[in-house]
Parts: sequence; C-alpha cells; structure tokens
Amino acid sequence: MPQRHKIELTVNGKKLQRLVEPRLLLSDFLRYELRLTGTHVGCAHGVCGACTVSINGSTARSCLTFAVQMDGAVIETVESLAPRGPLSLIQQAFHEHHALQCGFCTPGFLLSTREFLARYPDPSDETVRMALRGHICRCTGYVNIVRAVRAAAAKLKEERTGHGS
Amino acid sequence: MAADRDAGDESGMIGRPLPRKEDDPLLRGLGVFIDDIQEPPGTLHAVFVMSTRAHANVVAVDIAEAAQAEGVVAVYTGKDLAGRIKPITADIPQPGYQPVNRAVLATDRVRFVGEAVAVVIAENRYLAEDAAELVRVDYEELPSVIDVDQATGPDAPRLHEGTRDNVLFQASYRTANVETVFASADHIVRDTFQSHRLAVVAIEPRGCMAVYQRRNDSLTLWSSTQLPHTVRTAIANLLDWDETRLRVVAPDVGGGFGGKCSVYPEELIVSFLARELNAPVKWICDRREDLMTTTQGREYRFDVALAFKRDGTLLGAKAKIDCNIGAYPSFPLGASVEAGGAAIYLPGAYRMGEYAYETRAITTTTCPSGVYRAVAAPVASLATESLMDRAARELGLDPAEIRRKNVLLPSDLPYTNAVGMRYSTGSFATCLERALAHADYVGFRRTQTDNRLRDGKLHGIGMANVIEHTGQGTLRYRQRGIIYVPGFDGAQVKVEPNGRAIAWVSQCTQGQGHLTAFAQIVAHELGLGMDDVTVIEGDTAFGPYGTGTFASRGAVIAGGATLRASTRVADKIRRIAGHALNVSAGDLKLADGRVYLSGTSEVSMSIREVAAIAHSMDARALPESDSFGLEATEYYDPAATPTSNAAHVAQVSIDPATGLVTVVNYVVAHDCGRVINPLIVEGQVHGAVVQGLSSVLSEAMRYDETGQPITVSLMDYLIATAADAPDITVLHEESWSPDTAGGFKGVGEGGVIGVLPAVANAIADALVPFGCKINRLPLLPQAIVALMGSRSAGSLEDIHNP
Repeated sequence: MPQRHKIELTVNGKKLQRLVEPRLLLSDFLRYELRLTGTHVGCAHGVCGACTVSINGSTARSCLTFAVQMDGAVIETVESLAPRGPLSLIQQAFHEHHALQCGFCTPGFLLSTREFLARYPDPSDETVRMALRGHICRCTGYVNIVRAVRAAAAKLKEERTGHGS
Repeated sequence: MAADRDAGDESGMIGRPLPRKEDDPLLRGLGVFIDDIQEPPGTLHAVFVMSTRAHANVVAVDIAEAAQAEGVVAVYTGKDLAGRIKPITADIPQPGYQPVNRAVLATDRVRFVGEAVAVVIAENRYLAEDAAELVRVDYEELPSVIDVDQATGPDAPRLHEGTRDNVLFQASYRTANVETVFASADHIVRDTFQSHRLAVVAIEPRGCMAVYQRRNDSLTLWSSTQLPHTVRTAIANLLDWDETRLRVVAPDVGGGFGGKCSVYPEELIVSFLARELNAPVKWICDRREDLMTTTQGREYRFDVALAFKRDGTLLGAKAKIDCNIGAYPSFPLGASVEAGGAAIYLPGAYRMGEYAYETRAITTTTCPSGVYRAVAAPVASLATESLMDRAARELGLDPAEIRRKNVLLPSDLPYTNAVGMRYSTGSFATCLERALAHADYVGFRRTQTDNRLRDGKLHGIGMANVIEHTGQGTLRYRQRGIIYVPGFDGAQVKVEPNGRAIAWVSQCTQGQGHLTAFAQIVAHELGLGMDDVTVIEGDTAFGPYGTGTFASRGAVIAGGATLRASTRVADKIRRIAGHALNVSAGDLKLADGRVYLSGTSEVSMSIREVAAIAHSMDARALPESDSFGLEATEYYDPAATPTSNAAHVAQVSIDPATGLVTVVNYVVAHDCGRVINPLIVEGQVHGAVVQGLSSVLSEAMRYDETGQPITVSLMDYLIATAADAPDITVLHEESWSPDTAGGFKGVGEGGVIGVLPAVANAIADALVPFGCKINRLPLLPQAIVALMGSRSAGSLEDIHNP
C-alpha cells in the first residue's frame, strides 16, 4: 500500500481533510471519494473536457490533476452552480436552447462558459466557438450550445445594467 | 386514427418546441450515468487484458503473478470461461451467410488488437489495472488482413473456422432491364468510392455493473446500452439463466450512435462474474479501450455506375459494394446489416427503375464493426450524389437542374423504388427548392467564376438529396435476414389515482429527448399538462418487452406504441366520465386536465376524479363493461418503413495554402413527417450534420499494416469541436406518414446521410479548376492539398477554363 498524504482543500465551499494516494486522480477523488459524480470522465487524457472543474478560480482538467496536488486548493464542480433552487442563468440558457442531449459533456461546458463569460461578457459566435474548443460534444453539433452561451451573455448584460435601462 | 382527429388541433402538446424534462438533473450534475451509480459495498472491479496482436494463436496465458498481486480476487482466461459462457453467434445459417462464433474471451486465437484474452477482478480499479499488466500472454503470430482486398486475395488466411472464405455475407440483385438501359444510355458515369473506418466515440465510454442476489439467483445488470431487453435475453441464452430472474437497466446513457447497439462480451462476463464470485462486479471502459473494442463502422468500397439520357434523366444504377466488418459480426444486427443496407440505400431520392447490385461483408483482423449512425447510407449517398454532380458537369447541366429532373415529385407518390422500398409521402422536390433558395444558390453561382478564387480562398457549393429509412419494424428485419432484432416496441401508459400519468416505454434514451417527446404524446392524448406525465425507460423490470433505440426508430415505434396506449387510456377516461356525467363518451374531449362535453365548458369533470372512480376511491361506479385501473399496454410494429427526406446545401471555403476546409454556410430542409418537438428534431439534425462533417474532415480510425490501431486516443482520433463546426439552418416540412401511428417518421440519422455528399460536392465544386474527382474519404487538409496537385496558391490566379 503506497503512502498516503494528507491534503486540506475546499470543495464547493466545504473545507475538507483527506488522506490520498499520490496517484489518485482529482477526477476519481471527486467522483468516488466525495461522490460528486457530476464531473465526468470522457477520455482521461485531457482532450474531451468533460472532467473540467474550477481550481482556484481557473478551469482545469481534473483527469490530468492528482488529488495530492490540491493541498490548499479551492475547487468548484458543476454541483456548485445551483446547489438548490432554480437553475443558474447559464444552466437555464442551456435548458431553453436545447444545448444538451445526453448531458454527459454538459458539466464541463457549463464551467468553461461561466469562466469565459466573466472575462468576455459580450462575445461573438466566433469567440464562443474558439473559447469552447477545448470541449467535445458528440450530440448537439454545438449549434445550440453557441446559441445558449450568446443568450446567457445577453441575460448577464441585462442583469448588470439593470432591467429596462 | 389519432392523427386525423388531431389535425389542426392548436391546443395539443404534439408539435410544440418544449424544453426538455430531462435537462434539470443533467445540468446540476445529478445525472446518473453508469459510472455514477453508487456501488454496493464489496463491489469488485474488472479490467480486461487485451490482445496486443491483430491475428495470433494464443499459446499460453500466464496469470500466476497477476493472481498474487495486491487486491486481486480472481483472474480468468478464455479457457476458464469456455463452456461457462456460450459464444456469441450473430447470424443463423441461411443463403448468403456464413455464421461464425465469438468466444467472450479468446481461447486459442485472437483476431483483433483489443480482443480480451483474460479478465482481472480486484478490490479497486487501480489495483485491477496494476495486475492486468502482470498477465503474460504468449502469442504465435499469424498474418493479419486489414482490408477487403487482403482478406479476399488468393492467399488470404481464413479467419474463422468452418467458413469457405472471409466473405461472411453476400447478396446480389438485378431488375429485369438494367443491362438494356446501360447498353442504350447516352452517358454513363462511374467511379469507385472508398470510405474510411470510423470510431463511434459516444462521449461516455461503455460500462456495466452487475449485482447478484443469491437468495433467488437473480441478477441486475446496469449497462450503458441501447438495447436493454436484447442484452437480457442474450444473458439468459448464453449463460443458461432464467430470464425472469434477470433485470437489465440502462441508466442515463452518454450517447450511443450505434456503438452501444450490440451485446458485448463484457456484459456477459461481468454478469457471469457477479454470480460466480457472489459479489457486485463493475467494469468501466476507458477511452483507449473504447477506441479499440467498441464497434466501429462505415468502411466501404462502392464501385458505382449511373446511366443517363443526354437530357440528364437517370435511367439506372449498378453497384458493387464491399464492406470491411472487422473480426466478428456484432450481435444482434449480424454480418449483413452494413452491406445489405448499403445496397438498399443507393437509389436515393430519385426516380430510377433499373438497378443491379452485388454486395459483400468481409471479415478482417480489425475491430468488429457495427451500426454506426446511419450505417451505410452516408456513403451510398456520397456515391450517388457525387456521380450526379459529375454527370451534370459532363452533360452541361447545373447540379441543381439534374436533381430537379430526377428527384421524386408529389405526382410520383406513392413510389416503389427498384429495390421495393415504398415512399408513401415526402417533400423531396420542395426540400430541394427551399434549401437552395435559403442558401441563395442562384446568387452564389452568379458570383462564382471559373477560377473559384475569392479573398484568397477557393469557394464551392454542394448539395444532396437525402432519404432516411426510419422506424423499421419486424417484417423489414426478417426481409433483411436479421433474425435477432425483434423490430417492435411497447409502451404501458397508466394514470395513477392522483390523475397523473406514467408511461413505461420499452426503449431507452441516450440523449434523444424521449422523456419529453413521449410525454408530449401522452399529455396530448390525455389532455394533461407536461408536469402531469412521467416517462420511464430503459428498465426491463417494468413495462413491455421491446427492441431498443437505434436506426431512427424511437419516435416511430416507441412513439407509436405510446400513442396507441395513450389513446386506449383516453378512451377509457371518456367512458368513465361519460357514465358519471350521463353523456355519450364519444362527445367528450380531454384538455387541461379535464374531461369536457364538446362545445361546452358547463359539463365537465377532472381527470383526477375519473382516476379516483377507476381506482374505487369515489362513490361513483365504473361503467359495467369496464374493470378497475386506468392503464393500457400496446406493442407497436409499423405496417411499412416510413421514409424521411431532406435536402442539404453546404458552402465551403478552402485555404489553398493549407488545404483547410471551412464550412461557411449550411442549410437543411428537413421532413420527418409529423414533428413531435421541433426543438428536439433540430437538435438531432444539428448533431448528425456535425458528426458527419467531423467524419469527412478530421476523424479517421487507422491501423498499421500489421493491424495495430494507431488512433487510440482523442489526440489521434480527431473529433470536430465548436471551432470546426458551422452554424446550421434547419427548415421544416411535414409530410405525415400514412403508414405509422401518429404520422411520425424518424430523424436521428438523416443529417449524417446528407452532410457527406453535400460537403464532398462543395469541396469538389471549389476544386473544379484542378479537374480533380473526389472519391475517397476522409478529406483531411493533406488530402485536399494532394488533390490540388502541384499548383500552388500563387499560380491559382492564372487558372482559367479548366
């Protein structure tokens, strides 16, 4: 049995302490140890983007990260976007625009979209497409994802500027 | 007919673009895919040891070291399982077929890289993978055959015992006058089209988990499958297990596209192990394993000739088709599904009386193939539509003009084509005109010059007419020689005492929106709101037996069963309410959760009250002829195969320096009969178009000359991202099917069928100055550069009158 290392981290606002094997992937740690199974593993080699989470405010592939590296980190997963009550604005836009079919890749798209819209509040179709090219969706052809992200951007803008102004 | 009754009904739920009921948990990360299910305590994890050779005798498998490794509970080889699990046999002896067996673990011979030779079971996945590396397999190499020519050559090794050769299925057919029309034709165009092997790559790899209950020798298998009932029956047959003690559940499934449309050895082995070890057993495929073992598809060679009159009238076609089906036919669709479908699809959307084909399915030492989305149709369509364009150019016609001359017109319908496919309704010509108009085809041609070069890029436009055989029922599969696919599906619709409905449907959804679309059907028929209806699928413990979700059959067959069951429940609601209200049941209408006397809102009662009467929770009595409960079960098998149609127009630009193709405009005019939910239909079209586009421009499953797969990561097997895909316009036509309950036709595959030829024709159009023909996929940038030959971008300006 390899030696386990203690890590302290914050996941979705909750402070945790755990002992982890050095080779345990962050994706497996989140999914099997914390049962946060919304983070999906589509390739385990960093291409498909389904396992995307937010680490210290930046999106990252949890399948290419070891849990042991996360000592002191603040992690957010899809489960943090709307833990209760109504969907978040971005989730709602994905729903209204039919931007998901099987839904397996969706958590990764949502986290990258949130980060992207925070930095680029008024994107063109082209910018959205470039921003999300680190994610593979096999079902939607991306058409409705782009439409949902644009719609979410418009809604966020409306919220920022205040209704009717 | 419900279809007639609902015509023009604006208040109904069918036809509305409703956002989906299944979205909420998926958006919150609360979906339950196979690897998300909480494992019971003591769950063991299986990892398969895969062959590293494409073709070899297995001399010895040494498991000693692996069996001693940390956390390992058991290791099994092929010899251990032989006799415990019967081999998979996908076909029966019948003319044209050579059935072959596949052992669930290879015993003495392996036939593709990735074929499992042993399975390691350990306490966790990490330890199982460690131990799998310690299994030593001694191989004696045999010559590999990776393509159809090698496999049919004079010295080709025979891959399977008891066969004459490597042709596992063949068929031929000819109409009476095909030779005559070819002899008298003014013009014949001919070419050989080669399509490449594709991996399916559902974004969720396969996986399954089996939980055994010793107290009654029963088993539940959760599997990421498109076919829960067929998997259950296969476990019963191949493991000699009482089927009434087996339950197969498809949980949330992360895409299927045909890759989860076979019964796999892993499902049988994991089920076996759970009973053998008396413990829950789980196996999750990783992406590399998925790219090596999940059924692949669409590797064809089509040698096609079309015969025309000088005016462009299509007279007939001849085709010789070879399909590389890999190491084993897949169960339940068998050896013929690709090769047979290829031949049937070739006539397309055209009036064409004479046709001859020969088609073969050939086994090779590559991963088994299966029914990848639209199967053979995209390549058949590529062949026909490419030759249509070439004929047009050679006869001095515009590609749109030659299609107008030959595409089926309303006056042709119903039309039975040269292979007996009957098209009852369709909007072939209308879709073509609408797509061309929306893409401003005339405007594009007006500004296009002979040299095609504008803004430093080559520009082209291409089109394709599409047919999609959907909702194939029992007769169709029997006619095709496919024995193990039942063909029907079923639904049980039930109104509970609270007046809300639940529908158990025999299919299972992998993202197609069944839980919404079928709820719309139930709500429409019962006059309920969408929140009042729950659809549940993918669990063999509940509801009727059925076939599964593939081949664009969901809306037609499961939708039809749901509609019919709902209609019967609605009729009973009317009878009960009529009896209670003392009016004729025939005068009652269901809407807004209530039963109304038509034409008045005075006389009415709620469906909840009706449900209370039906469950003896109300003082009022049932009609004498009715029994308790408010439910109906219907199995549905459509009378004929409904054909959806579409026209696609693609506009591309090509960077002559790099060969990079960009799709700049894409229009689909689409007709899948009566639309249940236009949002979902558009999503299906978008997804299919981009999946097909990806297969043309970037995806390729490659094997080296020894049969080693060399594209086994998503860094090597390149799937289109948002940056590679176009926006897509979808225009709807609705030619309701008279052959199906509700008038529905299917929609899942047409997008792929259209995009291959539309994009290939657009590229060919852009490359007209180079005088090249496109007859080979994929069209990667280097292939485009090769097609342009030695002419560099700098000299393009000089090209005139090619």
